[in-house]
Amino acid sequence: MNPTSSLLAGSGTTEKRRISVAQVLVYELRVRDAMTKEPVTAGPTDTMRTIQHLMKTHRFSGVPITQNGCLLGIVTIEDIINALDKGHINEPTERWMARDPVTLRDHYSLVRAVAEFDRYGFGRFPVVDGSDKLVGIITRGDITDCLVHHLERRAEEAVAHEAVLMAERAADEKARRVVVRTQIKSGDFDSAGKVSQRMRQVLRERGIDPDVRRRAAIIAYEAETNIIIHTIGGQITATILPDKVVIDAIDEGPGIENVDLALREGWSTAGPLARELGFGAGMGLPNIKRCSDVFEIKSEMGRGTHLHAEVMLEKARMVA
Amino acid sequence: MNTQTPIKLKTLLPLLQAEPLTDTDDANLTGCYISDLLSDVLAYARPGVLWVTIQTHRNVVSVAAMKDVPAVLITCGRKPDPQIVMEAQEEGLVLLSTKLTTYEAAGKLWEAGIR
Repeated sequence: MNPTSSLLAGSGTTEKRRISVAQVLVYELRVRDAMTKEPVTAGPTDTMRTIQHLMKTHRFSGVPITQNGCLLGIVTIEDIINALDKGHINEPTERWMARDPVTLRDHYSLVRAVAEFDRYGFGRFPVVDGSDKLVGIITRGDITDCLVHHLERRAEEAVAHEAVLMAERAADEKARRVVVRTQIKSGDFDSAGKVSQRMRQVLRERGIDPDVRRRAAIIAYEAETNIIIHTIGGQITATILPDKVVIDAIDEGPGIENVDLALREGWSTAGPLARELGFGAGMGLPNIKRCSDVFEIKSEMGRGTHLHAEVMLEKARMVA
Repeated sequence: MNTQTPIKLKTLLPLLQAEPLTDTDDANLTGCYISDLLSDVLAYARPGVLWVTIQTHRNVVSVAAMKDVPAVLITCGRKPDPQIVMEAQEEGLVLLSTKLTTYEAAGKLWEAGIR
């Protein structure tokens, strides 16, 4: 689990006193993350007119006045209005700027910055570093933009993480799907039980109830021997899914003349060799039907038979 | 029926005049089932029983494994091919051979209290 997603999910103990991501961000993020860096500044000898043009061009409402990188003061839009009103618009800024303005340090948290905005009611703060050099300027809008930006990024990360989880889950599901398929030749008594054996192994590994395992194995085995004894050949497929086993036995003919009769216990058309080997009890199809949760058989003379059976899987009960 | 207390297979060997073809280890039996028809065994044999049959084909091993039958007694002096004995050994299935007929073996087992 990565830390971002656990933060978003608010899992476990944090669930009780859940803190929103935005709340976390205002503590995590610093003024330097939100401020406008390398702000446009003016010098103490620049005229108020110069500031007025700067504001007009850049749509600023405040311009810091610096000398050698050190903050001397700030000229705001109110100062410019006053200057125009009172006729000192062509005088240097050092005469009319607000001196030693309140600043924020670049390492302050955003939560502290918000508190300072509330406390002073200013529209902006110059930001200085540890050696009192001007490094930026910050407005409430900058803080909002920064938070929105970071929230978006977290959301994107969460979506990406979710996508990865979904992909992993899909891969897991696919891995849990095992297909066992064998071609079966007519009269090949020695190969009987191949699919059934492999299937039993997978089901045992998955901790499936022995009774359920046995039923699935019997279906596969009887279906295999049916193809060996009665058909010119075919194919058997066992698909093991998380919740069930699906067995399809498809042969190439000759087909069952009377399916109802074939489903009757004791009725067999097996030849002498099969009978000698212990087959031909006339119980194959009835056994399959009895062991199946879903049982379908379609047969057409001259074309073949498709037997479809499903067994629902249950885990073995834990014995204390 | 296999409601009885398990009986150690080893204790039955002299009685059945049985020759072990595989390791007998200490298989426990909870009853007996007699049939020469594989589907019949698949349908009705319960797990844990001794299966008595004259069949010696490799399918005996498959069916026994499928039904969790721990041991098979082959009667009338029949013996499967060594290849099949090996397969049984690998599956952990006990194969026994006896000169007795199935009927005689059944009688002995009944006398021994196996129900």
